[in-house]
Amino acid sequence: MAPDPNGASGSGTKDEAAAKTPAKDPKKKDEKKDEDLSEEDLALKQQLELYVERVQDPDPGLQKIALESMRQEIRTSTSSMTSVPKPLKFLRPHYGTLKNYYETMADSELKKLLADILSVLALTMSAEGERESLMYRLVGSEGDIGSWGHEYVRNLAGEISQEYAKRQSEESQIEDLMELVQQIVAFHMKHNAEPEAVDLLMEVEDLDLLIEHVDKTNFKRTCLYLTSAAKYLPGPDDLLVLDIAYMIYIKYEEYPNALQIALFLDNMQYVRQVFTSCEDMLRRKQFCYIIARHGITFELDEDIFTDDDDREALQDIINNSKLSEGYLTLARDIEVMEPKSPEDIYKAHLLDGRASAGASVDSARQNLAATFVNAFVNAGFGQDKLMTVPSDSSSGGSSGNWLFKNKEHGKASAAASLGMILLWDVDTGLSLLDKYFHSNDNHVISGALLGVGIVNCGVKGDCDPALALLADYVGKEDPSIRIGAIMGLGLSYAGSQHEQIRSRLSPILNDAKAPLDVIAFSAISLGLIYVGSCNEEVAQAIIFSLMDRSESELAEPLTRLLPLGLGLLYLGKQESVEATAEVSKTFNEKIRKYCDMTLLSCAYAGTGNVLKVQNLLGHCAQHLEKGETHQGAAVIGIAMVAMAEELGLEMAIRSLEHLLQYGEQNIRRAVPLALGLLCISNPKVNVMDTLSRLSHDTDSEVAMAAVISLGLIGAGTNNARIAGMLRNLSSYYYKDASLLFCVRIAQGLVHLGKGLLTLNPYHSDRFLLSPNALGGLVTILHACLDIKAIVLGKYHYVLYFFVLAMQPRMLMTVDENLKPLTVPVRVGQAVDVVGQAGRPKTITGFQTHSTPVLLAAGDRAELATEKYIPLSPILEGFVILQENPEYRDDQ
Amino acid sequence: MLKVSVKWQKEVFSAVEIDTSQPPYVFKCQLFDLTGVPPERQKIMVKGGLLKDDADWSKLGVKQGQKLMMMGSVDEIVKPPENGPVFVEDLPEEKQAVALGHTAGLFNLGNTCYMNSTVQCLHSVPELKSALVNYSSSSRNNDLDQTSHMLTVATRDLFNELDKSVKPVAPMQFWMVLRKKYPQFGQLHNNIFMQQDAEECWTQLLYTLSQSLRSPGSSENPDTVKALFGIELVSRVHCQESGEESSETESVYSLKCHISKEVNHLHEGLKHGLKSELEKASPALGRSALYLKESRINGLPRYLTIQFVRFFWKRESNQKAKILRKVDYPLELDVYDLCSDDLRKKLEAPRQLLRDEEGKKLGLKTSEKNSSLKDNDVKMTDAEGSASGGGESSTNTCQEGAPTDKDSQLTGIYDLVAVLTHKGRSADSGHYVGWVKQESGKWIEYDDENPIPQREEDITKLSGGGDWHMAYICMYKARAIPM
Repeated sequence: MAPDPNGASGSGTKDEAAAKTPAKDPKKKDEKKDEDLSEEDLALKQQLELYVERVQDPDPGLQKIALESMRQEIRTSTSSMTSVPKPLKFLRPHYGTLKNYYETMADSELKKLLADILSVLALTMSAEGERESLMYRLVGSEGDIGSWGHEYVRNLAGEISQEYAKRQSEESQIEDLMELVQQIVAFHMKHNAEPEAVDLLMEVEDLDLLIEHVDKTNFKRTCLYLTSAAKYLPGPDDLLVLDIAYMIYIKYEEYPNALQIALFLDNMQYVRQVFTSCEDMLRRKQFCYIIARHGITFELDEDIFTDDDDREALQDIINNSKLSEGYLTLARDIEVMEPKSPEDIYKAHLLDGRASAGASVDSARQNLAATFVNAFVNAGFGQDKLMTVPSDSSSGGSSGNWLFKNKEHGKASAAASLGMILLWDVDTGLSLLDKYFHSNDNHVISGALLGVGIVNCGVKGDCDPALALLADYVGKEDPSIRIGAIMGLGLSYAGSQHEQIRSRLSPILNDAKAPLDVIAFSAISLGLIYVGSCNEEVAQAIIFSLMDRSESELAEPLTRLLPLGLGLLYLGKQESVEATAEVSKTFNEKIRKYCDMTLLSCAYAGTGNVLKVQNLLGHCAQHLEKGETHQGAAVIGIAMVAMAEELGLEMAIRSLEHLLQYGEQNIRRAVPLALGLLCISNPKVNVMDTLSRLSHDTDSEVAMAAVISLGLIGAGTNNARIAGMLRNLSSYYYKDASLLFCVRIAQGLVHLGKGLLTLNPYHSDRFLLSPNALGGLVTILHACLDIKAIVLGKYHYVLYFFVLAMQPRMLMTVDENLKPLTVPVRVGQAVDVVGQAGRPKTITGFQTHSTPVLLAAGDRAELATEKYIPLSPILEGFVILQENPEYRDDQ
Repeated sequence: MLKVSVKWQKEVFSAVEIDTSQPPYVFKCQLFDLTGVPPERQKIMVKGGLLKDDADWSKLGVKQGQKLMMMGSVDEIVKPPENGPVFVEDLPEEKQAVALGHTAGLFNLGNTCYMNSTVQCLHSVPELKSALVNYSSSSRNNDLDQTSHMLTVATRDLFNELDKSVKPVAPMQFWMVLRKKYPQFGQLHNNIFMQQDAEECWTQLLYTLSQSLRSPGSSENPDTVKALFGIELVSRVHCQESGEESSETESVYSLKCHISKEVNHLHEGLKHGLKSELEKASPALGRSALYLKESRINGLPRYLTIQFVRFFWKRESNQKAKILRKVDYPLELDVYDLCSDDLRKKLEAPRQLLRDEEGKKLGLKTSEKNSSLKDNDVKMTDAEGSASGGGESSTNTCQEGAPTDKDSQLTGIYDLVAVLTHKGRSADSGHYVGWVKQESGKWIEYDDENPIPQREEDITKLSGGGDWHMAYICMYKARAIPM
């Protein structure tokens, strides 16, 4: 991390030497080198030479004086390191002499003194890899290490890490090294060089030491460095690093940060510890907001929170019960409450004559597309122009009418869209969906059940309404009703690990009479409910179910949801997947590799593990003869693994470009989807161009995937360029009903929640990955691998899995009573400040707004007033503001 | 007695008493009083389960002060409408074509784009279609030859098929019959059929139809094609040398737009085309002399066909060469000043009416001078209503069909409805495309089997001056006004 000191100073010396010898007389240069020096320097040189001679004097008294003077000279000159200090330079020729003399000396205080000096001289003299500086340091007097200057310490640190590696391999003692490490770390930590200290400790594998050395002034920078370094560390080291960061945060009572690390580690013990360590009610509320944004299920224990009212208030926040309210406040503030119709999104009037004539006859497919567009655009607003219009008119209301403008299974999606419109507003949602429960049309009931699941997605109530309403329908006769109930449960209880639901759904997996689609949706729902839990029993149930499938069933497009359900159980859990991966090798060869890829990509999702990316790329490079399908899963896997951090992400985008050029058709079809996941809700121009190009591909499935992905990268951004592209595509594909459907879906996504929502599973400064959100997205992407059979077939309602990833991209500041509070904030591009000294600016190119405010991808906000103190360091989602007691109004 | 709070929609009813000795149905009735939701539509959620009517309170473990949630509404239960909507996907193909808003394309059978574009342009004339529908395949006129009859039947069938399909049609039968009737279209070059002049195809086809669609039975309507497309010209032939003058009348199916260096606009070209010089024997001079022939329109057709004389026979290269000159043509054509004096007189009244109406449409008040027509105001509004109804679409006129219809009068103003364009350097090569205005008012470019929607603005850009498609034949439809 630190610039190579030797290289820099070395070149400095040369320059200086050249400057100092302006070649008055080149011939005499060698002989009369001394004459070039100023008198002062000459004196110093002679003085040092004298000391060197004296050191070899037999008189210990004289030796001591000489050594001490020499030390004095060196110490006074090493304060700056722009060039090799003169004393060191003049002593260079004598390094050998001193070394030799040192060998002859008897052990004494003086020998140690000389060792110290030799150690410093070795800084410039020692041959590469000899580590003489360290060697002499270890035998020298253990004085203050910093007195020799920064450069010396850095050099030592480098040598220590080499020496440590060597000793590790020889299994020899390291105590003496560790003592030195202690000193160096202490020195670095005192001198604003936290990254160096952390690097050294990582090299010697003893990060625990860090905790003793951090203090109030430097712990923030230290932890920032630790957390960002964790992304690039292999294996268990990354978790260890985060552990340390967590402990430091706890030690300095920086609880929100500690909580974030606890969530990153998915360590509920730590989460609980955060709650027990912090007694302040308001802060605890902020913790609850952070947990709620992450979307995990967390029950507050009664033994921590003795006061029932308090606990209830906190649990309410975790349950997201006020999310709808906050979102609507944002919508009102931005003035986008007015419902939008699909036509407002299509903007056909902007197209030239190409737009198809106002068809006099309804097209079931286009109406279905309008249903989805309407649902996506008005998501969470509670009103729209198709489904919620008052149904008091004598004709039975146009609400009923729109429902019946959809055909068969289309009615299920239409009824469920009401759930999407009333997203997070459980009370109103349930009352509006109620009327569909009494319909005599199975598709409508199925949609109502799904709608209940959607309304409850990410919101939990104390009565568990979703479970109460849906549980009974799981065992009904009609497959569409069963799927509606099963998917509804999966959406509303994602990540909850709800035992009762497992006992309902698991038997279906191994029910020989159950239709394949019911089984597939059960597997996905279980995968979502137990996402990242590594639950053995669910895994067993899905494995048995996979083994029971016949050859022909394994070839069905929907079967791919079974391995995916299995994979979701291990989402982000890395090695824990290995046992199951072994079992999967015994599967029928039709599904074996698909399962293998899915498990691998899920287990390493969001880790940025380069080796796994390479492994997956390797699978894509093979040429397949037998029409296997696993390469598509591998391509999506690349995106899942690489999406963790910015550098890996850019590399993955480039690798995908290669796949596009050299890959075979089944790979090309998956590449747009992978690009969509990598840049979800983050319309990068280069990716946009690639997708735009692919959207005109001759292979219609590549084009469809590209069109959907254009929607993904623009999801919730209202991006004008993508909207324009999609509009043109809608006229380009006006005759192709399937592609037009995809274009419409993409248009709906771009205007998701009228631009207030995001699908990005990453949040909190791109640090945390919401497992539910990723699970939902991956499910859709896998379904899109066979877009014609699933999304364009009768399982279009898989598109509602998007709801798992939908979150308002807002900053909502609230006061101590959790009421919205308007304050000025600066919003700008986030700047990476890791490892920078001082207090660097964290945002650039900012604008000042007043809250609530929207945050785009890569944006960061900071308060523009001193009047309040935010209780969370990351200004995203709900943030509680406390009045600053030291604030004084200037007027 | 337990007291619980019940949440329903946004309301919370606190302290609702439960009599645990009674079945839950009683509790539901209590809630019915509070909410108005009938018990059978109530769903009460107790910790992840629904409250059953016959459940036992003691086993449910409801506690004092617990929160229950009730779902249910008094909303009407949705019923499917009795006549559900009809979806395009369910329709038979011919109805899908209606929904599509335009008819199908025609496959190219090997350099038959000249034929395809001609058929597409003529297909857009509803009167011709209805005349063909009435043509029976069995009863053939005695004076009509077999091949003409076959061609007419083939045209009828092809038009019929075009109306019914969504997918492109292969005009196999028509193509065979056309070749039989006019062997020149069957010319082969290197064993493939040669490209032909679309204008020739157009003329021949119309000629055949005019022969066959002559219904001997009805005297009032002797020749449908002539009534639709025929232009009556009155010409004054004048010899400058002798001062002789004579006048003759003729009937043609199209006006020619001659293109010379002075011609920049269709109107100029038409004027040019109506003047010609000819050499003939002068009885007065006793030798052949130069006569000047000036023609004027004496009778207007429903459909005015204009041919741009873009091709001329180039002897050196032995082919029909093309004039690329740009000649603008309007979407709305007024031929008033090409008409004879007699016709002008006839046109005056309808034109005045049309102007007034348009003025009205634009929101201008009819001037005080016309106040004598006050009593006509009512009529005029009527007229406006029907005109605006039938102005764009041809429903009004096509149903009535015959030009002799007393109810509507021609005004001399024409709207562009079809353009046949050519791209390339000679008539027997390049590519022909038909651009046809649909009943919906939208333009469709029929490029063989691909119908492509186009903007109206782009239609007038086909005026030549480059290597892009340029108009070769334009078909205008008369704007008639009911009297």
